Amino acid sequence: MIGLVAGIVGQPSGPAGRRDVVIAGGGPAGLTAALYSARYRLSTVVLEGYQPGGQAALTDRIDNYPGVPGARGHELASLMRSQAVEAGAEIVPARAVRSVHSEEGFATETDSGTFESPVLVIATGAAPKKLGVPGEERLYGRGVSYCATCDAPFFRGRRVLVVGGGDSAVKEALHLAGYASSVTVVHRRDALRAEPVLASKLLKNPVCGVIWNSRLLEIRGGDGVESVLLETPGGPRELEMDGVFVYVGRRAETDPFRGLVELGDDGTVVTDGTVRTSREGVFAAGDVTGRELRQIITAAADGARAAAAAYDYLQHHPAAV
Amino acid sequence: MALLSAADAEQVRKLFSTMTSDVHLRLYTQRLNCDTCLEAERILSELSEQSDRLKVEVLNALTDAGRREADGVENVPALIVGDGSHGRIRFYGTPSGYEFSTLLTVITDAGTPGDRLEKPALDFLSSLAEDLLIRVFVTPTCPYCPRAAVTAARMAAASPRVRAEIIEANEFPDLSRRFRVQGVPRTVVNDLIYLEGALPEAAFARGLGLALPLLAKGEPVDMAALLSKPREEEESAGK
Ligand SMILES: Cc1cc2nc3c(=O)[nH]c(=O)nc-3n(C[C@H](O)[C@H](O)[C@H](O)COP(=O)(O)OP(=O)(O)OC[C@H]3O[C@@H](n4cnc5c(N)ncnc54)[C@H](O)[C@@H]3O)c2cc1C
Repeated sequence: MIGLVAGIVGQPSGPAGRRDVVIAGGGPAGLTAALYSARYRLSTVVLEGYQPGGQAALTDRIDNYPGVPGARGHELASLMRSQAVEAGAEIVPARAVRSVHSEEGFATETDSGTFESPVLVIATGAAPKKLGVPGEERLYGRGVSYCATCDAPFFRGRRVLVVGGGDSAVKEALHLAGYASSVTVVHRRDALRAEPVLASKLLKNPVCGVIWNSRLLEIRGGDGVESVLLETPGGPRELEMDGVFVYVGRRAETDPFRGLVELGDDGTVVTDGTVRTSREGVFAAGDVTGRELRQIITAAADGARAAAAAYDYLQHHPAAV
Repeated sequence: MALLSAADAEQVRKLFSTMTSDVHLRLYTQRLNCDTCLEAERILSELSEQSDRLKVEVLNALTDAGRREADGVENVPALIVGDGSHGRIRFYGTPSGYEFSTLLTVITDAGTPGDRLEKPALDFLSSLAEDLLIRVFVTPTCPYCPRAAVTAARMAAASPRVRAEIIEANEFPDLSRRFRVQGVPRTVVNDLIYLEGALPEAAFARGLGLALPLLAKGEPVDMAALLSKPREEEESAGK
């Protein structure tokens, strides 16, 4: 039993309109911003996109969020969500398509109507990067996955490859080890980038092995993954495989805000070091920013700061409301 | 211990309090060979305490075989949800985790009048010349799944030509094998059209429109491939 996620999916249309604060993104950053903003008694709407809870909901176990040891990702995310709703925030499943500056502030166009507000918080987080190797796209959902929490049960007793060497790759490899008969991690370097606690767990796990200094070149198979082709120091190597999980970093989801705020070369929102962006009245929080540490706690902290900054901004621009 | 926490129960009560008509839930379970039936019964019984609008019936798949056959139920636990006028939406498996939010949504939809779909999807449905069986494979830990499941359910609610089955992939390994489920959400329409991942409802309707004419060949149709190719052509043609 994994518990129950109470909440509603995709509301009947028509919730669009004007609010004090529009928050794009329903991950830890957006939900925390919503919690604080609602408690400041600002009318607040969260556009949560297609992934309630954000990336936090995509991971099984979270061991580094203080106060909640061994938290389950989806439970933590759904607690954050219901706490924001309890506080009075509205959460809608709309996905932001484009935000523009208008006379009255900002107009955020979504797939379910346009939301207007004097203040906008960008908290759309990040999505998994693809490798761009042959077979990846075609075999997506047929052995290729970016979500071990979602798909691990389909690989019970089978062989999987995990691509990457960071925290996410190692954590998800360990999660997969509870199902798969073998977990092979392929990593570009000769040491894992993941935090030492995780790395040593992986290296000690009898189900897991690492192929160092190697890259995935191709994923092969007809109607499902059958093998992978690796470039290793000893030359190309083909391994029989049933699944491939890709954890090679994330790309900020900032396309809707191009032109509204300054973006860095990597697509992240440029901030002043906290949550202020290049445009007055627009704040950014969490993984969309270029912050060095991208974790739930830092995302949540940003969210709180963004709401406080929004409140402060509205106090000084009463005409905006 | 209650499955629903006090706060969740309160949230569910609030949601259900907006409903203006009765919602009928019919659960088929059995005592033998069904590890998850009891859990499904518990979830349903706790849910039914949150609103008088829920009319719950628990049937035994073996002893109530007549009803079961009439409903075309092939697996247990099976939960049929509707406004009482049809049985086109069903869940196979325990609606826990994210699937619980799907269930809440399907229930509130059924108890509240009005269209749940936007025009492109409604237009597609009204032009349908054939029956659709949409199977959506999900797992309780998949946050993308409710989107795909709810879209299918809303199409079924809106059109008598559409049936939606939301299937917990872990609980039905045979079905998952038959439809080659290796990732969720996976949507399979009329056995042959398949889609990996969740799409906005308009895109899903458009994909179905493109895929249905190809069914006659009797070969699997990959909706994502269809949607990615013609779109480029359409766009360049439009310029
Ligand atoms: C596999 C994995 C394991 C991890 N493990 C840990 C861990 O153990 N501990 C830890 O602290 N962190 C962990 N992280 C990192 C952590 O999940 C992220 O840092 C955190 O979720 C970032 O929060 P966020 O709110 O900024 O963005 P996200 O969580 O990415 O949320 C973004 C939200 O924006 C929405 N969205 C996207 N585009 C749009 C749009 N156009 N319109 C509207 N909404 C949109 C999405 O639907 C989503 O709701 C892990 C990440 C992964 C992938």
